[in-house]
Amino acid sequence: MTDGAILEGWIPEIGPRLSLAEVVEKAFDYRGNVTLILNDGSETEGYLFNRNADAPVPFVQLFDVNGAGPHTISYREIRTIRFTGRDTAAGNSYAAWLRAKEAAKAADRPEKGSGSTPPRGV
Amino acid sequence: MSLPVSQMWAVASYVVRQKLAGRKRYPLVLMLEPLFRCNLACAGCGKIQYPAQILRKNLTVEQCLAAADECGTPVVSIPGGEPLMYPDIGRLVKELVARRKYVYLCTNAILLKEKLEAGLFTPSKYFSFSVHLDGLQDEHDQAVCRDGVYVQAVEGIKEALRRGFRVTTNSTLFDGASPLRMREFFDEMMDLGVEGMMISPGYSYSKAPDQEHFLRTQRAHDLFSRILSNPKRRWRFNQSPLFLQFLMGKQEFECTPWGNPTYNVFGWQRPCYLLQEGYAATFQELLETTRWENYGKRSGNEKCRDCMVHCGYEPTAVNHTFGSWRGFRDTVAATVSGRF
Repeated sequence: MTDGAILEGWIPEIGPRLSLAEVVEKAFDYRGNVTLILNDGSETEGYLFNRNADAPVPFVQLFDVNGAGPHTISYREIRTIRFTGRDTAAGNSYAAWLRAKEAAKAADRPEKGSGSTPPRGV
Repeated sequence: MSLPVSQMWAVASYVVRQKLAGRKRYPLVLMLEPLFRCNLACAGCGKIQYPAQILRKNLTVEQCLAAADECGTPVVSIPGGEPLMYPDIGRLVKELVARRKYVYLCTNAILLKEKLEAGLFTPSKYFSFSVHLDGLQDEHDQAVCRDGVYVQAVEGIKEALRRGFRVTTNSTLFDGASPLRMREFFDEMMDLGVEGMMISPGYSYSKAPDQEHFLRTQRAHDLFSRILSNPKRRWRFNQSPLFLQFLMGKQEFECTPWGNPTYNVFGWQRPCYLLQEGYAATFQELLETTRWENYGKRSGNEKCRDCMVHCGYEPTAVNHTFGSWRGFRDTVAATVSGRF
């Protein structure tokens, strides 16, 4: 599993020991929504799906919580990033499936239909 | 190999044209993901773990066609997500077929019978359903974490075949797979009447729910050798015999990450179908700005170390076939003899 479970809810402090670029990389790898806190005090929440630290003006790209975008925001506009959304890669559905299978085996009964994972998406 | 002659000719002439043009890097199969939404949550899949607003998104048909035109591959594979949940799947396939692209619609087939009965598709030599089946009933239902899916998929396959569609299967193998059961599975698929089968080891997605059963290289060689070393004449595979030899450890190949470029709601995925290290706005940008030297076994990249997945190595096998006399000879020999 990733370190997503640790990142969920994380509010990093950007400073000498933790750079914005490092936090951006964590946010890029995170499979949940994040909230960008901008230098002007505004906030943007969404899924950060791309970043380019090597571009002449380094930027991130995200789709907001309504799915609108992609919004492109330069690194220099960002104060910090909060990991506000649920980590969708936390593996809960698979763990639930395994538990259901094990329980069915233990009870020695047919488990048809008892352990199906919920469909993804909406 | 079970590919129709027209498809083999289309791929062969395309590859030769690329070589004559002196193109060092050329794509072979476009992996077109019009959505990430899926009606399953399989243990080994790292493709669908996204927040709701991303799972709700669809590419437009026009975006899909522009991507196909831009990269120009003779073959377009439509995975996802589940493509049969894409609202415009019928129109997308029709438009791609009109462009004479060989289209593989990769589906879990849960909705296949329903969509066929709705008249969404027309049989064509350019169009094939590629049904995801990771083995016989017990193994497949375990892999997709839901009972009954194998039976639904087989019903869908039968209906598609009855209506005159091309049908292939694609199977992902994980550690612990039984060679004997896989051979029984091949027999069963041939009995069903599918055109051909595709097999590949799973990629160790860091986001996949099950992290314990991905195959490492030597174990993959052992497994595929036991499955394929004494193949039955009746088995037909819809993939390069050199790739199957590679899976058995009989060919040394390097990855061709640009061979199966991936386009989805985020853009052109860097560097390949499996790794997500960023996105490019255009295919040209993907080709020109991706640091290709950072990928493949020789790069030392840990994420590539045990990868033997078809999307990276099948293009290598095809390139080898048309890039050397030895490759051509080995391909012909395997095709004629039916042995790998």
